Amino acid sequence: MTSGTVIDVERLNVTYGDFHAVRDLSFQVRRGELYALLGTNGAGKTSTLETVEGHRPPSSGTVRVFGQSPRDRRAVRPRMGIMLQESGFSPDLTVRESVRLIGRLTRRADSVERVLGVVDLTRKSGTRVSQLSGGEKRRLDFATAVYGTPELIFLDEPTTGLDVQSRDDLWDAVDRLREDGSTIVLTTHYLEEAQQRADRVGLMHKGAFHREGTVSELTRALPAAIRFTLPDRAPALPSRATRESDGRLLVQTFNLQQDLHTLLGWAREHAVELRDLEAGPTRLDDVFRVIAKD
Amino acid sequence: MFAIALSELVQLFRNRLVLVTSCVMPVVVSAFFIRQHEVFATLGSLGYVAAVVMFTIGAFGLYATTVTTLAARRQNLFLKRLRSTALGDGGILCGLLLPVTALSLVQVGVIMTVLGVVAGAPENVLLVVVAALSMVIMMLGLGLATAGLTNSPEHAQVTTLPISLGTIAVVTWVGITGTEELALPKRLLPGGAATELVLNAWNGGVPVASSLVLLAPTLGWVVVAVALAARIFRWEPRR
Repeated sequence: MTSGTVIDVERLNVTYGDFHAVRDLSFQVRRGELYALLGTNGAGKTSTLETVEGHRPPSSGTVRVFGQSPRDRRAVRPRMGIMLQESGFSPDLTVRESVRLIGRLTRRADSVERVLGVVDLTRKSGTRVSQLSGGEKRRLDFATAVYGTPELIFLDEPTTGLDVQSRDDLWDAVDRLREDGSTIVLTTHYLEEAQQRADRVGLMHKGAFHREGTVSELTRALPAAIRFTLPDRAPALPSRATRESDGRLLVQTFNLQQDLHTLLGWAREHAVELRDLEAGPTRLDDVFRVIAKD
Repeated sequence: MFAIALSELVQLFRNRLVLVTSCVMPVVVSAFFIRQHEVFATLGSLGYVAAVVMFTIGAFGLYATTVTTLAARRQNLFLKRLRSTALGDGGILCGLLLPVTALSLVQVGVIMTVLGVVAGAPENVLLVVVAALSMVIMMLGLGLATAGLTNSPEHAQVTTLPISLGTIAVVTWVGITGTEELALPKRLLPGGAATELVLNAWNGGVPVASSLVLLAPTLGWVVVAVALAARIFRWEPRR
């Protein structure tokens, strides 16, 4: 483990009785990066995350956070903030009381009003948690995770239930935290968020990493796609195309710019309209679909 | 720990149902026993009245509220949230249970004082205090163990019944019939030895050393309850 490593997981196994949720998983998260832990349903993300957070012991293997066991709460938790997948607040406490309580217990110094301002909950500070909407509870959850600007922040499905404006605000806040040097571990079902923001991605399937690397490393192995519809009796295409279930034609290419240029030249030359034309690089969604088929 | 305790106290006073269950009901029942102490004393003794009042607070105030609180905090993931902080498990449990424990001790203290003033002081006040403390520790331990079997606050209404009603039944049995017959089973039942300790403390006539031996079965129940809790207590809801 180097000085730049915040999380070091080595040959982690998590089992529940006979069920093997995580198999021999090894990865590292470096200081200052945003690491996205993604996976299919039941891939073992939650088990992995909860073990790294220190909520459950590994069945075998080692997990070190800041060079220490994450089970040593007194040593590790003041340096990490955790946004749980589901809220966990007392319904009879107010927003301000909830942030103050959890903030105190993290042993980090901060101002409750500042943190509520970050998540735009200042005007709800006197409202009981039971009266908050789902999105407001997620923002409260985020507020407790970033209280005191911890060095390491776990964001488990942070934008689920948030409207577009709240999502943008949350990601702006994450960007500011990263500017301050925080390391982020993210899990999300919104793959475009991971695609846009993650420095590195670990893609889990059936308890193990299927792929790990930067977004471009993961997507490079798959061809980009050009989709369109042709009118009847169009001349033969310059590239090989397959027909999709919605009737559109699909051209897969590892040289998107060149093949798109060729296709557009062909269309101009034959005065053919390429209807519903879409062209774009390979996305994480595409990688995800390939994995899910395995 | 004290931050959690303070937040629990705030919640206790904001939730009227819990407030009535944990504060008002035991006091009302105790007031009834004190008002009718002459009737109940003829059944057993003043020591019996003291024991039944003490265990009413312990069973319906402390024990039931402990189980309900832990089940509710687990169900809404508040326990998991607290475990996401730097505080250890012991500190979390102490913080959660400190207010209701303190409240029960205050209730027992006030009601025993009122009983002493109205009906006559106990022979050995110190022994009454020891009995009250042992009862509180036993009820806390049993509460932790029962919380492990309780999925929700609603479920707590069912899971707390055997211990709540059982201890009151044991107190009544031991308080009225004494321990001259079937002494061993009576002392080994939860609350049996503690009841005899209260009887001895209030009525007198038994050497202190003989009474202190009665702490052993009560503390035995604490050990059993804590061992059970360590095995079956869950911090997160079953999925």
